[in-house]
Amino acid sequence: MTIQRTYEEINKRIKKGEAVIVTAEEIIPIVEEKGIEKATEEIDVVTTGTFGPMCSSGVIINFGHSDPPIRMQRVWLNDVEAYAGLAAVDVYLGATQLSESEGMEYGGAHVIEDLISGKEIKLKALSQGTDCYPRREIETYITKESINQAILFNPRNSYQNYNVAVNTSNKKIYTYMGILLPDIGNANYCTSGQLSPLLNDPQFKTIGIGTRTFLGGAQGYIVWEGTQFYPQVIKDENEKTIYKGGTLAVIGDLKGMSTDYIRAATFKGYGVTLVVGIGIPIPILNSEIMKNVAVKDEDIWTEIIDYSFPHLKKPSLGRVNYKQLREGNITIRGKDVPTSPLSSYAKAQEIAQKLKEEILRGKFLLQEPIQKFSKENEFKPLLEIR
Amino acid sequence: MLNKKVIFTFSPQNVERPVTYQLIKDYGLWVNILQAKFEPSLGGKLVLELKGEDEQIKEGLNFVRQIGVGIELLEQEVIWDEEKCIDCGACVSICPTGVLFLDKVTYKLKFDYEKCIVCGNCVEACPLQAIKVTF
Repeated sequence: MTIQRTYEEINKRIKKGEAVIVTAEEIIPIVEEKGIEKATEEIDVVTTGTFGPMCSSGVIINFGHSDPPIRMQRVWLNDVEAYAGLAAVDVYLGATQLSESEGMEYGGAHVIEDLISGKEIKLKALSQGTDCYPRREIETYITKESINQAILFNPRNSYQNYNVAVNTSNKKIYTYMGILLPDIGNANYCTSGQLSPLLNDPQFKTIGIGTRTFLGGAQGYIVWEGTQFYPQVIKDENEKTIYKGGTLAVIGDLKGMSTDYIRAATFKGYGVTLVVGIGIPIPILNSEIMKNVAVKDEDIWTEIIDYSFPHLKKPSLGRVNYKQLREGNITIRGKDVPTSPLSSYAKAQEIAQKLKEEILRGKFLLQEPIQKFSKENEFKPLLEIR
Repeated sequence: MLNKKVIFTFSPQNVERPVTYQLIKDYGLWVNILQAKFEPSLGGKLVLELKGEDEQIKEGLNFVRQIGVGIELLEQEVIWDEEKCIDCGACVSICPTGVLFLDKVTYKLKFDYEKCIVCGNCVEACPLQAIKVTF
């Protein structure tokens, strides 16, 4: 008999303490031993995790009003400018914005990390002054306790699958994929593979708008498809399936997050970014979903791309799977090339485990998406019209 | 490419040898004078930073030793802040000696201090600024 479960049934079992939950890594030997059908019968939820640099991140802040009040038109937090083209004391601080005094040493992501860890942040704001908001300047200090809201809102996180970056030129290059040594001296990749949320539900059968997630140590939600959302299913000549292009827009209360699961990072010569921990539970509604979460690193393929090519469409140097990447060396054009993950697999494991424990303790219930993602997306380039 | 800091001690017998010039010209080394103190009748002390290939540095130092100049290596050390590290592995593929690696079981970063040549590649590769070089 084929098993069918609903979100309600799973949540009921979680509340009763009866739910069986494993991580996307632990499920692999279970399915190998028992088969898809038996595993589907026994397991209710599989948890995933990822902890990688995600540039399209930021925080919405409401500072509260000063007396006399100010309609903030330009705002700096620890000398990092936040976008203030909103209401009087609302800003959006982007993770990649650089400090005006320290440059790449400090940026929006560092302000976010400092806020989470409870540090005082220097706020400076300027205004033209209005009749209703007479003040023209303010300098003060804020903490996460002193402000009304600090809402992490990341327009594009949790990339489904990403390229392996290499450099075929004869000089070292500094990229968002890290330092790439000349003559294919190294290869950097950035996905947690078999633990990655969107590779465990590649067709978005359970992940959609409204899905509750682990986000930076707190509970967050998927609010929309991520920007540049363009899921593709590519069948290559050897019948290997490559899923890529899915992304998520996520939101959550920054005040409840922990620097164990959200960190600032600087890629030398490129800039500042935010490393975000995301974990998504996948409800085992049927055997098809179980088949997806049983995916192994050796079955997940990605493309090796030459980042020394300065144009949008960069040449491919072939395909490789995550098992090969994780072993630490791959072969490109006959050369043995060392690999770097950039996305922390150890942290991804920790996040999947933590999410599993929270569900087991009844602290985290599964939320059925209120709307699935559209499948009609396009990936448009920016045209230059003169 | 190696980067070493050294102290050369000169005696009155070899104090007039143009050691810096010869290291640059004959051994192709990049030389930066950090400190110099000379008293022709007594000898002197020269603190240098040398950059070059492993072999070049070895041969250059052999030459200095042969002319009777004392050599003391200022040991540099790579400091890895384990607390700050997130085990992303960005440092792994640019480490020429493979002393920084991800454990095959835990996927946590391991650092084999003993075999590190202090090239400094990991310092610029670490996105968390968790690796530093000190003296």
